[in-house]
Amino acid sequence: MNKATVTEIRKQFEKALEEVRDTAALEALKHGYLGRKGIIAGLFARIREVPPESRKETGELLNSLKTDLSAAIDARSMQFAVPRKQKEITDFSMPGYAMHHGSRHPLTQAVDDMLNIFQHLGFDIAYGPEVEIDWYNFESLNFPPDHPARDMQDTFYTEGGGVLRTHTSPVQTRYMSTHKPPVRIVAPGRVFRNEAISARSYCLFHQIEGLYIDEGITFADLKGTIELFCRLYYGKDVRIKFRGSYFPFTEPSAEIDVSCFLCGGKGCPVCKQSGWLEIMGCGMVDPNVLKAVNYDSERYSGYAFGLGIERMLMMRLGINDIRILFENDVEFLKQF
Amino acid sequence: MIVSIDWLRDYIDIDIPLEELADKLTISGAECTLKYSGVRIPEGVRVGKVLETRPHSDAEKLTVCKVDAGTGEILNIVCGAPNVKEGRRVPVALVGTKLAPDFELKEVRLRGELSQGMICAEDELGLGNDHSGIMLLPDDYEIGRAFADYYPVYPVLDVEVTANRPDLMSHWGVARMISVITGKPFKKIPLVLEEKGKDIHGITRVSIEDPLACPRYSARIVTNVRVQPSPAWLQRRLEAVGLRPVNNVVDAANYVLMETGHPLHTFDLNRLAGPEIRVRFARKGEKFETLDHKERILSENVLLICDAKTPVALAGLMGGLESEVDENTRNILIESAYFTPSVIRKASKEQQLSTDASKRFERGADPNERLEYARDRLAALIAELAGGEIARGLIDFYPEPIPAKRATLELENVRRITGIELSAANCRATLQALGFEILNANDKRLEVRIPTFRPDVEREIDLVEEVAVNHMDKIPSMQRMSISVPASFDAFHPFLTGIRQFFTGYGMHETVNNSLIGESAAAAGIWGYPPLKILNPLSQEMNVLRTDMIQPLLGSLRINALRKRGDIRLYELANVIEKDPSAETGAREHHNLGVLCSSSLWGLNWNEPEKSADYFYLKGILEHFMEDRGFVYKLRENTQNAAFEILCDILVRKELIGRIGQYRDEIFEKLQLQHPVVIMELQVEKLFEWYKPQKQYTPPPAYPSIFRDMSLVMDKKTPANVLINEILQQGGKYLIDCLLYDLYIDDKKLGEDKKALSFRLEFRSDKKTLKDSQIDDVMSKLFKRLENQYGARLR
Ligand SMILES: [Zn+2]
Repeated sequence: MNKATVTEIRKQFEKALEEVRDTAALEALKHGYLGRKGIIAGLFARIREVPPESRKETGELLNSLKTDLSAAIDARSMQFAVPRKQKEITDFSMPGYAMHHGSRHPLTQAVDDMLNIFQHLGFDIAYGPEVEIDWYNFESLNFPPDHPARDMQDTFYTEGGGVLRTHTSPVQTRYMSTHKPPVRIVAPGRVFRNEAISARSYCLFHQIEGLYIDEGITFADLKGTIELFCRLYYGKDVRIKFRGSYFPFTEPSAEIDVSCFLCGGKGCPVCKQSGWLEIMGCGMVDPNVLKAVNYDSERYSGYAFGLGIERMLMMRLGINDIRILFENDVEFLKQF
Repeated sequence: MIVSIDWLRDYIDIDIPLEELADKLTISGAECTLKYSGVRIPEGVRVGKVLETRPHSDAEKLTVCKVDAGTGEILNIVCGAPNVKEGRRVPVALVGTKLAPDFELKEVRLRGELSQGMICAEDELGLGNDHSGIMLLPDDYEIGRAFADYYPVYPVLDVEVTANRPDLMSHWGVARMISVITGKPFKKIPLVLEEKGKDIHGITRVSIEDPLACPRYSARIVTNVRVQPSPAWLQRRLEAVGLRPVNNVVDAANYVLMETGHPLHTFDLNRLAGPEIRVRFARKGEKFETLDHKERILSENVLLICDAKTPVALAGLMGGLESEVDENTRNILIESAYFTPSVIRKASKEQQLSTDASKRFERGADPNERLEYARDRLAALIAELAGGEIARGLIDFYPEPIPAKRATLELENVRRITGIELSAANCRATLQALGFEILNANDKRLEVRIPTFRPDVEREIDLVEEVAVNHMDKIPSMQRMSISVPASFDAFHPFLTGIRQFFTGYGMHETVNNSLIGESAAAAGIWGYPPLKILNPLSQEMNVLRTDMIQPLLGSLRINALRKRGDIRLYELANVIEKDPSAETGAREHHNLGVLCSSSLWGLNWNEPEKSADYFYLKGILEHFMEDRGFVYKLRENTQNAAFEILCDILVRKELIGRIGQYRDEIFEKLQLQHPVVIMELQVEKLFEWYKPQKQYTPPPAYPSIFRDMSLVMDKKTPANVLINEILQQGGKYLIDCLLYDLYIDDKKLGEDKKALSFRLEFRSDKKTLKDSQIDDVMSKLFKRLENQYGARLR
């Protein structure tokens, strides 16, 4: 018996170990090598055959062989920690093990997709509270107290004199109050409207607000940015239409329509045969808003825009009842 | 607001296609759709005359008619209506007429009698709901003529007027916008006013208590009128814009309102005590019955028009029943007033009454030109339609005339804001067409007088807008953009995205729940925050903001359970709100993660029996989550909440940042859930503050590990984590892990108060391959310690 014998045995063992497929086979292998009458025991028994001067060395060799083999068997046995079925599986047409599948909510997914685009266009992300004070939600945005424009947004009032923000626009004045121009931000978030819940309206929805203030910013910059965004989000063939509108905090103001992404502008029930879908409001920030945050409106100008996520998503997914977005039926959620 | 094209043509020539007109108005800020008002009678329906009738020989209720419908032959038509009559004119649908998209009229035999068409009832033509009999037409209807000729349809524009444009709520307003688009001039109907008879001051008087609320009150009187139905042209025009004709006086007032946008009121002069008009605020609790037959209880915020004794109208809102003009009215007082917008708005809100008048007054009517024109125009129109004489003179209370404002437009600012270069001539033409008077002009600036019918325009920027919206499609789209480099880059959103990916990866569904919940649900919130109340809630189930993530998720659980969805694994990232009177907004917001599961551990499988995802499932996920983000955390049992089988505080840096637990099953008995309900909530905003994304790597082990298994029997009461900590502390420098992989309970074999736990210990050195003998030693020492300390014995 010499080193070569030990090496040979090691090799044989490794080969045998590789072929082991279940606990029973592993037990047999262990028994064969490490058992009382196993191969290793046999080797120890033959140590007398070794010349005395090299017995110590051989002993150590055998000891380390034993340690290694038992470690290898232990390691292998871990792989069989869950006992196999009694029957050997040979039918590989059996289905894969059932895994739980998770999903992202379509609303937050859409928000992420849009934020991603705006971040590529150099916008930072900003946040604001959902419970606001009147000054940020209305007054700083050029809604005079007791003005009919406030009726455009049915407001929830909270104890302590707050309001649930009716749009993400207060993030504009909040952000500008603490940052000097230039500012270039998008602000995602929940907003609230005190409207009876129905298939068409819910008491909350999501918006993304955009704001860019710097020297020399014009409506043409706004058009360019929005067009680029629409091409990146809706596809390069989308057509965009700006039409005049009114928001107290922008002047001039516009609504933006995109060519219907379902019919391509030919007309279908989703776009009510018009070929166009209204997706956001925008405009040049009103000097009164800049004044409210102590920006010099003669020096700085800029644009703001706001888009609602739910409406856009409902059109895209063919949802005709907004409430399904907030019910969280797993049969709905798992589709995304 | 609906405007009729036919009516608009009184004020402007329209020579572009109507579709194009609607598109261009929309681009310029008056979002509108082209519609057709009235009923479209199907082609093939003609005026016919019933020549003779005879009863059907085989059906009691049917009549066989000979009808002349101008087709050149006499038609034989079977009719089921009881009122069919010889000699009368009737609408006849000829064979081939499409009465509905899927119904084409055919020649048929009805019980043996040939029927070559159909005599129609109102409902069959979409003209009403009456099906009691066929329509009997006036004798002057021409036989053979298309019946549709008697029901013309009018093209109308349905305009969505934004809150800042009271002037657009009229044909005049829309006509002015068309004038900018087409370049055709806007023209008013010239006034012809013939005053006769007594002087108005001899008939009545007007007194205003509060000129701040009613800066102008102007009145005319028309006497000796005959109130009767309006002529057909007037009825048609009103119907086309959606108004119901009443009588010639009321209709005339509505007509002038729709024409000019200025609301007017007419009183039966003889029913006014005095007769006189007094304008004052209501007394608190004062009662008044309005035209809509509602008795209203008023506050001091409501402005009243009164006669010498009692109120006769809510100013700017609605008249009263008592002074209403009806067929017996002989003398009329016309009110053309200007009320302060905020006064009308307050009253309208308080009385929950929004009328054609209030919508215009609260946005701002015109105290000057339109008020005067409307007043005189109405007087003239009543005299024209109802006879009568316009009393000489007028009453005009207007102590402090409201002047037209002025503003200057620098052309440079048009470019600075919009990015287009417009010539002075171009800006000038636009503003003039909109009714602005140019006071001074050169090639750099325009000074204008702003008409008082445009209360939304005050500043230079407003003039920029007027010019810009009318050139919206000419503003270029910047193709080369410069951007300002952001001062900072948000890292919070990516942090949240990572959390979403993590939980989605674990097979959970992201949810979005309502932030508004009921007070009792909020009281069950796991943080115990005082809830913030909504002062004007939609319902009692939504009267506070959520105080935790879990209560709304329980709502979603309920919906899923009621729909028998088996596996429910939900999470959400959103704000929970804590009432905090010391905060500026009255609230403190926490951005939290909520997780709720009632699910199997894995899907139904052929390789494994089904198991529930219980507390330990979520605890395992928490462990991974924290490790992934580099947080060391501790769990501390929380026994405060009786709803939970187990609830633990999650502590990071000794601060409470979350809770994890499993509800008692009996709480959900009614829902018949298959699996326990486990929850977790984490204050991710706080975690984010401490989060350090850069982790340094550890080299993978260079030497093999040695594993040793150890099964220990001990008291059931000994907590596993105490034992694990002990093992980890006493296991020597080579022990790198202690995995608890089995729990065994067998009261007979082990004893009633005993349990067996199996641990797999992993030993490794990063300097050498360890030898068994080294580990044997450690193991026996370790075991002795556990035996002494915890009474553990080897199994
Ligand atoms: Zn479409």
